[in-house]
Amino acid sequence: MRRIFQIDGEETETWLAHDGACFILNTPDGAIPCQLEAAGAKGGHVLRANGKVRELRLAAGPDATFVHMNGRVHEIRRIDPAERLAGGDSGSSDDRVTAPMPGVVVSIAVKPGDQVNEGQPLLVIESMKLETTLTAPRDGVVAELPFAEGDSFGLKDILAQLVPEEE
Amino acid sequence: MTISKLLVANRGEIAARVLRTANAHGLATAVLRHASEQEGPAHLIAHEVVTIDGPTPVAAYLDIPQIVEAAKRIGADAVHPGYGFLSENAGFVAALEKAGVTFVGPTSEVIDLMGDKVRARAFVEERGFPVAPSAIEDDDPASFVERARAVGYPLLIKPSAGGGGKGMRVVREDSTLETEIETARREGERYFGDGRLFVERYIERPRHIEVQVMGDGQGNVVHFWERECSIQRRFQKIIEETPSPALTPEQRDKICETAAGIARAVKYRGAGTVEFIYAQDGAFYFLEMNTRLQVEHPVTEMVTGFDLVAEQLRVAAGDGLSAVQADIPQNGNSIELRICAEDATADFRPAIGDILLLDEPQGEGVRVDSGILDGGKVTTDFDPMLSKLIVHGRDRAQAIARARQAVQNYVVLGVTTNTGYLDAILAHPDFASGDISTGFLTEQSETLTAPGEDVSDLLMAAAALSDERLVSEVMQIPEMHRKMGGWRN
Amino acid sequence: MRRIESQIDTNAADYKANFAAMSERLKEFHARQHAARFERPQRDIDRLARQNKLGVRERLKLLLDPGTPFLEFSTLAACREYDGTVPGAAVVTGIGIVQGREVAIHANDASVKGGAWYPHTVKKIVRLLDVALENRLPVIHICDSAGGFLPLQHGVFPDRYLGGRVFRNQVKLSQANIPQIAVVGGHCTAGGAYVPTLSDYNIIIEGTGAIFLGGPPLVKAATGEEVGVQELGGAVMHTSVSGTGDYRAATEQHAFSLAREIVGQWKRTPKTIIETAAYEEPYYDPKELYGIIPKDRKTQFDMREVLARIVDGSRFHEYQPNYGTTMVCGFAHIWGYKVGILANNGVLFNDSSLKAAHFMQLCNQNRTPLVFFQNITGYMVGREYEERGIAKDGAKMLMAQGGSVVPKFTVIANASYGAGNYGMCGRAWDARTLFMWPQAEIGVMGADQAANTMADVKIRQLQREGKELTEEEIAAIREPVLEKYKRDVEAYTSTSELWDDGILDPADTRNALGMSISASLNAPIDDPHYGIFRL
Repeated sequence: MRRIFQIDGEETETWLAHDGACFILNTPDGAIPCQLEAAGAKGGHVLRANGKVRELRLAAGPDATFVHMNGRVHEIRRIDPAERLAGGDSGSSDDRVTAPMPGVVVSIAVKPGDQVNEGQPLLVIESMKLETTLTAPRDGVVAELPFAEGDSFGLKDILAQLVPEEE
Repeated sequence: MTISKLLVANRGEIAARVLRTANAHGLATAVLRHASEQEGPAHLIAHEVVTIDGPTPVAAYLDIPQIVEAAKRIGADAVHPGYGFLSENAGFVAALEKAGVTFVGPTSEVIDLMGDKVRARAFVEERGFPVAPSAIEDDDPASFVERARAVGYPLLIKPSAGGGGKGMRVVREDSTLETEIETARREGERYFGDGRLFVERYIERPRHIEVQVMGDGQGNVVHFWERECSIQRRFQKIIEETPSPALTPEQRDKICETAAGIARAVKYRGAGTVEFIYAQDGAFYFLEMNTRLQVEHPVTEMVTGFDLVAEQLRVAAGDGLSAVQADIPQNGNSIELRICAEDATADFRPAIGDILLLDEPQGEGVRVDSGILDGGKVTTDFDPMLSKLIVHGRDRAQAIARARQAVQNYVVLGVTTNTGYLDAILAHPDFASGDISTGFLTEQSETLTAPGEDVSDLLMAAAALSDERLVSEVMQIPEMHRKMGGWRN
Repeated sequence: MRRIESQIDTNAADYKANFAAMSERLKEFHARQHAARFERPQRDIDRLARQNKLGVRERLKLLLDPGTPFLEFSTLAACREYDGTVPGAAVVTGIGIVQGREVAIHANDASVKGGAWYPHTVKKIVRLLDVALENRLPVIHICDSAGGFLPLQHGVFPDRYLGGRVFRNQVKLSQANIPQIAVVGGHCTAGGAYVPTLSDYNIIIEGTGAIFLGGPPLVKAATGEEVGVQELGGAVMHTSVSGTGDYRAATEQHAFSLAREIVGQWKRTPKTIIETAAYEEPYYDPKELYGIIPKDRKTQFDMREVLARIVDGSRFHEYQPNYGTTMVCGFAHIWGYKVGILANNGVLFNDSSLKAAHFMQLCNQNRTPLVFFQNITGYMVGREYEERGIAKDGAKMLMAQGGSVVPKFTVIANASYGAGNYGMCGRAWDARTLFMWPQAEIGVMGADQAANTMADVKIRQLQREGKELTEEEIAAIREPVLEKYKRDVEAYTSTSELWDDGILDPADTRNALGMSISASLNAPIDDPHYGIFRL
């Protein structure tokens, strides 16, 4: 139930709770008891928070909520910390592209020294009557391509090597 | 010649505004729409929507052959160009004439003349109207110092090859003129490798005042009074008003008559605007003439009671002017605010987004010329101006109060707009007292974009409680565990 | 239900004296708990930081839903073992909330001996997995263990309820369709490798997490192969080559976020429905329990006064209020859940035993969970009671209690002596949770009686040898026996040995029971059935 809210570029880590009677938004500056009820015109709400009562108009987009309150519009960007962390789903990647099965190099798209982006095709191989494109595991520079077009290779042979990343 | 079907070769709020008048006058109407363009109010008002095509939406609106062809195809006998796009394009006027379609606007010759800043200035100066004094060294290097002195003080020395303010020097006293010229020349040589100079009158804290004129093309011209447009960011107006708080009745008559005189000199046809730079001492100089309907024309309509588009159509149909000068009043005050999709706190960077909620203000003395619809999308394909909020009050104070009330209730959610910034301008004491110049927004930028009261706690609460995924996750926790909270044994 | 009318005078001198005594005890208890949870030698804290690992408490914080309770079990396990150097038995267990779901958590505490498994560690993990099995709670394992503590391997490895039972229980959980996730935030070596591999889902934290049957030193010794930790069993290898790992996480934060995401997509099975009422706080302040529990254990007190500070609205519907009055039976609600309560107001007689047996059958019949509040010195002894069949009536009570199909919960509120412990659902009787209050005692009999009995045996033996003993000599025999026994019956000994699920501050009893009851409803309740009652 955590959210990071960003207002005017400033991020605040929060979590929302409900104690059975009332919502409580917990922020580094303290807990905000709060309640929001739809009222009046389209998007109209009454917000009760921290002992204050405000009428506001509100619209929630996919990543940001827009609030019109006291004649001012505010944009609150919402970030689910889980989504931010999900960037690391694949973890750090190898410097090497190894052969998933034995086969033959059909074509090579890059040469040593080339700057490549993650997912960029490096070479096409054929094995089991199927052409497969092997892509760069991360952004980087190609260090070595040990096989030439037409060469055969075995299982787990290194087909491409990137220059190791500096820590 | 009569007009029975009008094609509006424009989009957004101005297309909608022109179409409303045209519809009200019983014309059949049509408007353009690029294939990729969001639906706007104009498309709902026009009887017919003509799809145009082009590599970019803007390119389509500038495609003269395609638009002329469209006008012919749908049987339009007149085209209203709005502002921007082809509104001051002599080639477009010529192409329409050739196709036998009436252009609602001046002749191509006048457009040509006024479109050339140097020729226009010479034309106006020759006829005895005021232009800002200047001197170009290249014209006659030997007499440059003398001619510079004749420009009068304060004056501004600029390198002819210059730009970006480099080598520019303000001279306030004659005793320093020659040394400053030499300094400027050295700087010009150092920065640009070119020491030639140019001098013009330096106008401190100038105001931008313009006059609405309307001519029948036969030499009859009336004016619809002035508009003050000094509130500008990046050389673009965002708040305009009439009457100007700067003018005395005498000055007003003088500047308005000057404008009408210039229009008369070119036998102006249709609606036009003569722009002046207005010095704090009351002197004013011709800047340029815009040969079209201006964005800010509604403030004029609010105080005069005239529908300027109706006047344009009347003139275009050959029916002449509907009023003589004495019939054109200036009642109360009117202010226009340009609602733009831009971030005033980030150097007016254009903003894009989906309009999640739109609720435009209404009420006595409030007019909204809007180019957007609820649920629409704001892209960078076109100008960031979404709509115009125009108010009228019996005096300036009431107009400001109404404008503030209305802009505070102008609800556009989903895309950043300048409503808060506009309100901050209206709230500024110097604006209230009328003590403004074209430099006002730059001078006051920090005050105007200062963060307001910190309401982040309320905003976060509102954002959290309206986040349905978040709320449902919280409510998934069994009630007992929620009530226990962070209990630990 | 009617509210219990409390007779307690909070201004009375004995109330105040009790309150002061309990407060002192609790101060010590909370200090010990805090130390067991948070106080570690600096070198251990430094080591974790050096290894780029979070402490187990921070890991729990990342895992659990913010603002939700965590019922921790046996915080003071092993507090009287290993010279107190293995706080919490190097493992944290408990029931918490993840994505709105109740889960059982088993988390190694690598700040204690690198998370090594001591005999008490194994006991605590096995108990947690038993809780998971009984209550059908999904388990999240947070693995970070140096492996079995070799010098004590005989107490860790071979027996039925030792190391192997951890994995056996994992298998049983899986078989019962109860999901498990392992977050590998350290090494899982040898047997430890089976915790993640027997889990339905596992997540390995890159850099710190590793799984292998034999670590690099063992591999080198066994085969001479030289291989690094990451190549041998790191996150990248296991998630891309061996398939031993399911997810690799870049950071601890990422790992627990993934674990939460996994829990969030599990099917939500409806819980067992029992009678509930709208929740109500107790009318009387639970803190008043401190003044109600006598500072001298031998002083009798009315359990209704205790119940009034634990149950919803202090409301209690008493069953057979005028029969077998040393056994208080009745219905109440705890956090809205309807429960049947059995509480001791004295020794168990024939009538009180029969009343208890009858009441428990009643609760089984209408699917009402049972809560036992123990303050029991035993079943009544003596010729008259034997003639009335006290052993037969006690057996009926055991048959009814042991045969109960509804979930049972036990609070040892004061004394828990002898067969009374059995009748009142002691540890052997499968209470879903069993907690002790800090001043409570557990043993075959009270300390004085036990010391006297043991001293008397010795004295009689000496007398048979013709020795005359002076008062001083008798005291010299009795005193050490008494001292040792007193220590052995203390709650700290019980909790150290995991005879309970932890010591509770009495004021926390209501929440601990609420969490326990709620968790128990993840498992179905069978139809009532019993063995043979000796009538």
